[in-house]
Amino acid sequence: MCGIIGYIGERQAQPILLGCLAKLEYRGYDSCGIALAGSSFQVYKDAIRVGELAKASPRFQGTIGIGHTRWATHGEPSQTNAHPHCDCTGKIAVVHNGIIHDYQSLKQQLIAEGHKFASETDTEVISHLIEKHYQGDLEKAVVTALREIEGSYAIIVLMMGDPKLIVARKDSPLIIGIGDRENFIASDVPAILDYTNRVIYLEDDDIGVINSNSIKVRRNDKIISREEHKILWSAAQAQKGGYEHFMLKEIHEQPKVIRDTLVGWVPLTEEATDCTTTSDENVESILILGCGTSYHAAMIGKYLAKELVGIPVRAELAAEFSYHSQGLARTMTIALTQSGETADVLIAIRRAKEGGGKVITISNVVGSTASRITNQTIYTRAGPEISVAATKSFIAQLMALYWLMMSYSKADARRLADILFELRQIPSKVQQVLDNEDNILEHAKYLSAYENVFFIGRGINYPVALEGALKLKEVSYIHAEGYAAGELKHGPFALLGSDTPVIAIVTQDSTLKAMLTNIKEIKSRKAPVIALAEEGCEAVEELANEVITVPRVDTVFSPVVNTVALQLLAYYTAKHRGCPIDFPRNLAKSVTVE
Amino acid sequence: MKQAVILAAGEGQRLRPFTVTKPKAVLSIADKPILGHVVEALAQNGIRNIIIVVGYKKGQLFDYMGSGEQFGVDITYVTQERQLGTAHALAQAEAATEDEFLVLPGDNLIDADTIAQFVSVKPEAVLVKEVANPARYGVVSIDGDTIKEIVEKPEEAKTNIINTGIYAFTKGIFRFTEAELDIPDALNSMIAQGYSVNAREVGGTWLDVVYPWDILSLNDAVLRQIPVSSGGIIEKGVSLKGSVSVGKDTVIRSNSYITGPVVIGEGCDIGPNTCISPATSIGNNVVISPFTQIKNSVIDDDINIGPGSIIQHSIIDNGCVIGAHFIASSGAAEIKIDNEHYVVNVGAMLGEDCSLGNGVVAQPGVIVGNYSQIQALKLIGGRLPDRSLVV
Repeated sequence: MCGIIGYIGERQAQPILLGCLAKLEYRGYDSCGIALAGSSFQVYKDAIRVGELAKASPRFQGTIGIGHTRWATHGEPSQTNAHPHCDCTGKIAVVHNGIIHDYQSLKQQLIAEGHKFASETDTEVISHLIEKHYQGDLEKAVVTALREIEGSYAIIVLMMGDPKLIVARKDSPLIIGIGDRENFIASDVPAILDYTNRVIYLEDDDIGVINSNSIKVRRNDKIISREEHKILWSAAQAQKGGYEHFMLKEIHEQPKVIRDTLVGWVPLTEEATDCTTTSDENVESILILGCGTSYHAAMIGKYLAKELVGIPVRAELAAEFSYHSQGLARTMTIALTQSGETADVLIAIRRAKEGGGKVITISNVVGSTASRITNQTIYTRAGPEISVAATKSFIAQLMALYWLMMSYSKADARRLADILFELRQIPSKVQQVLDNEDNILEHAKYLSAYENVFFIGRGINYPVALEGALKLKEVSYIHAEGYAAGELKHGPFALLGSDTPVIAIVTQDSTLKAMLTNIKEIKSRKAPVIALAEEGCEAVEELANEVITVPRVDTVFSPVVNTVALQLLAYYTAKHRGCPIDFPRNLAKSVTVE
Repeated sequence: MKQAVILAAGEGQRLRPFTVTKPKAVLSIADKPILGHVVEALAQNGIRNIIIVVGYKKGQLFDYMGSGEQFGVDITYVTQERQLGTAHALAQAEAATEDEFLVLPGDNLIDADTIAQFVSVKPEAVLVKEVANPARYGVVSIDGDTIKEIVEKPEEAKTNIINTGIYAFTKGIFRFTEAELDIPDALNSMIAQGYSVNAREVGGTWLDVVYPWDILSLNDAVLRQIPVSSGGIIEKGVSLKGSVSVGKDTVIRSNSYITGPVVIGEGCDIGPNTCISPATSIGNNVVISPFTQIKNSVIDDDINIGPGSIIQHSIIDNGCVIGAHFIASSGAAEIKIDNEHYVVNVGAMLGEDCSLGNGVVAQPGVIVGNYSQIQALKLIGGRLPDRSLVV
């Protein structure tokens, strides 16, 4: 998703802006650009990577500037559509993350008034609107311009000859980093961590005027103070620490993520069991919401709720939920969003609250928008996730769901004690999967030769099949589809053949028999079967062409070990195909537009 | 001297089963990998530019050390694809080195004092030690302060002075690392060409880990210096004597009796009525059930030990689940490694993710391979390979 950055201080702004933009790369982008106000106004932008921009751009002088990484929504990736966008006079430059819904009518009106547009973007209307309303006070012009705009935005405005930056946000993330006689503005924290760990989170409708030694935030024309936060994790946590890709590093962090989570949440067996008495008696049903990978976690949550809580539960795609939401009173909504900024989830949270229910958000980013609009937030302890393909944040979401479902559990105490006992072994079980990496690598080489792959699972591992397919397509660009194993014969069978391998997730529970039958059906269509199975499952070893083994765990935890194995499979398949794993084409880390 | 190159590519075959899935430099000593202790000792001497040569199972090493942030150092990794020798390993780091740098093995325990005494010496120099039993090391013959020759594992050692594998070098060493695979050979050819190589003997801790039971002596040495700290919940009636360090979110239940030096990690559940005796390290996320006694042992992460167990001089690797009344008592054991017989006083050594039923009795010196399953009431002894099933 688009990333924005601003600097004002005493140092030369260009290298700082370029360094910060490089840290924003993980959000996904197709073009980038910078603007500096020195003795003259200097803009350089193109549909290139940040590294190329750093080499190609001339040395600009100036200690105040803005920068942008663009993820195209309105208008193709090109030099003219890249940000910053200037007004007609070339004295005002704007960077923007978000979408202006009414930009077409505004644009026609501005053109009728004589403004000349250079790009096809929605953003450019902001620059021209500010120009139109400018009467000597930039802040006032920005406020007036924003009143005419419908949509979402985080913007930074720079004007030639005016040594300050104006910032504003609505439904798109924006933070201010406080330095010593310098200040930073960014879409998120990792961008500025090399310079400062003191951060202010802006709220919707905040307008800020940033100088090198002052920050003024206004809301409805009144000056307000926003709390300063200290970021406890560091820039180094966002480095690759020896690994070739962030994705692999983050996959390997998972035993620690799980252990950290356990240490914080279930130090005492009986305390966790005690939580059952605190559960809310008024809750009659549970609704779990998410997008993409988080939706898969939500689906697993549905099976956990059924197993442990025993009240009606459904999992919904956040983006679809708003269109059919009804009867939400007495419903506990659990919203899953790694970034806490996913636009569709934010809309769904608001909708669920309007419906009268309680909303618990599970997020990985402290202070994110979702955490501020929800009733309660459970923070996952995954640390910053840089890879666009989510791995450790997914596992951390699952851990949060285990904890939450155990807290609300109505299962008998012995079953809960067994689950808790086993939960403590899960970090080591996941480490076992990682230690089996070389073996998974061999299967990945095999898989990398194919262009179509199916993943099938049953029960609690059906969402794992979806997640395995999503990971593979995200990073390796192989066309992959996840199916409930029973659904394969209702259509997809027509596509099976010797060049469509099927990855079957096999667990030794009540689904085993049906799954073995499915594998036989698939094999008789000549499709090669790679089974992902617990060690010692002899029936599968005889049937499948290849077997990836994972350690045996209680069925409720099988999604954890199975997902980690499929993450490694996707990673090594992509690596074997030479894909840009951490920055897959067209994808963005957090999707802050609808 | 502001830079150090740490050689951590080695596998440590003699340390199996503990090194089947991880390099020996990350073996846990007092709840921290050996390499972590080395890096801390360097950081205390202001050496914060660290190059680590990695190879065998490097992933787990990255997972522990990361970018060096948690140790206050800056780590650069270089990879030695095939573990051909120490000089070959060092040569991989050539491009990243400054004019002068230290070289240390990642699997030797060294304290900050030892490094402080050594950094003042003029390169090229070797840190040497006088030991009682020099035959398993490179034996150094010295003339004044300079080295005449290093002889690897001689049948008959001429002196008791040995090479610790800790060096101070200039970039000049790289002229000799091409022709030779091991650093002592490179130094011998350097000396043969008329260069002077200094020897410096210093006091302080230096221990290396070669055999599985060495983990216990390293653990003992580190625990002697641990500070008292408590981040956990200590219930009523618990006795903590001596240096006992308890990690956050750990609970020590009533009537447990813990005599330091003992380190207990985060998120553990200990007791009630558990006795932990000196020189014991317990990792993170470990459950120790009532009426269990543990003495001079290393218990790693994610382990569950059942009630009424007795564990002495033992090493238990990550993820083991042990039933009730497990007996691992120490005694003189004859253990064969690489066709050599060793008589050592040791308890049980269990690899990762083993599961033991109730009432298992381990004979002193038993080595159980990773992922083994032992059914209830079995007597185990000798060496069991990985994935053993004892029924």
